[in-house]
Amino acid sequence: MSRLPWWVGGILMSGLLILTFSIFGADRPLGASTYVPYFAGLVFDLDPAKYKYLQDIKNPGSWEGVLLLGALFGGFITSMFITKSFRFSLIPSGWKKYKNNSILSRLLWSFVAGFFMIIGARLAGGCTSGHFMSGMSQMAISSMIFGTVVMISLVVTGKLFYNTEEK
Amino acid sequence: MHTQIITESENFASRIVQMFENVIHQGHGSLALVFLIGIIFGGIIQYTRVDKFEKIAGFSMLKDTIVPKMLFLAVGITSIALYFMIEAGWAHYHIKPVIWQGLIIGGTLFGISMAIMGKCPGTGPVSIAEGRIDVLIGAIGGLFGGLVFTLYYEDFFKPLMGESAGKLILPELFPGNEHLVVLIFGVVITLIAILIPKIEMFDEADLSQLTDEERPDKV
Repeated sequence: MSRLPWWVGGILMSGLLILTFSIFGADRPLGASTYVPYFAGLVFDLDPAKYKYLQDIKNPGSWEGVLLLGALFGGFITSMFITKSFRFSLIPSGWKKYKNNSILSRLLWSFVAGFFMIIGARLAGGCTSGHFMSGMSQMAISSMIFGTVVMISLVVTGKLFYNTEEK
Repeated sequence: MHTQIITESENFASRIVQMFENVIHQGHGSLALVFLIGIIFGGIIQYTRVDKFEKIAGFSMLKDTIVPKMLFLAVGITSIALYFMIEAGWAHYHIKPVIWQGLIIGGTLFGISMAIMGKCPGTGPVSIAEGRIDVLIGAIGGLFGGLVFTLYYEDFFKPLMGESAGKLILPELFPGNEHLVVLIFGVVITLIAILIPKIEMFDEADLSQLTDEERPDKV
């Protein structure tokens, strides 16, 4: 089988969340956006003594940094040997179908969206992993607010940004 | 000039080593365990293909529902299991505070960006790992986003986020009925996952690599 069905994926992801939360695992939630400013600190050589935010995220940032390295490795191995989807590409098929054929347009939008995605995640205090999966699993009100706002803004953007009429 | 480059890269390497040491000393699992959690995380995302533009941007166009189905199912199951684990002392709460402005402004920006990029911070790296250069460019954009957030955190972003209204969880709003609320929440979220109609947008470029028996669109 080269693709897991959504329900197997959901059950496995649930198992991973439970392992991560449990005291026999990591005793913390699974998150995946704090590593970005942490890496920004590493790459741009910012002095943590000068930036309060870097002090705040020292532990979660480094934890998620190692998680990210694992995710890169796991994603690479799986794409090479199981899904066979590894290939270099500059523009997704769906972008060509519903937006345009311009690689430059895709790269520019990617860069801009990447920039605001991290600003947004850090303003809200989490992302799809930290808020939606880990937070909602704890029935946190903050994560339900985040989830609702994201769903609305995602679907509205999808309607406005892409030409969704079937060609 | 040459030596300067060498010291620069040595500094960077030492900062990476520092990251590993932070993980070893913070008591949230061994370095190997955290790395393993990452491998499984990346593996599940890759194996279910939810890192694909067609799945995430496809959901924003309401032409693919695999991502919400999988997310809701994971939350539904975990919420019930986790609540009783916490009661048994096998896990702890790690609740994020209700900061209205931060959640609404941040969530809006996040949703817009997620629709346009077709990735989120967890699925993006998995796409990069399978060779998507456009996502790598997006990650560089994200790195600059992280830089700007760090630089202007105290002057701009922290005031923008506003005050915390506390860390609240749903069962606390129904004192005396906590267990019932947890069960209802878990079951309803799981039902939502099952009841969302399954719609899929496929990427021919990926599927053409597979044999007919392996193709999910032909089964």
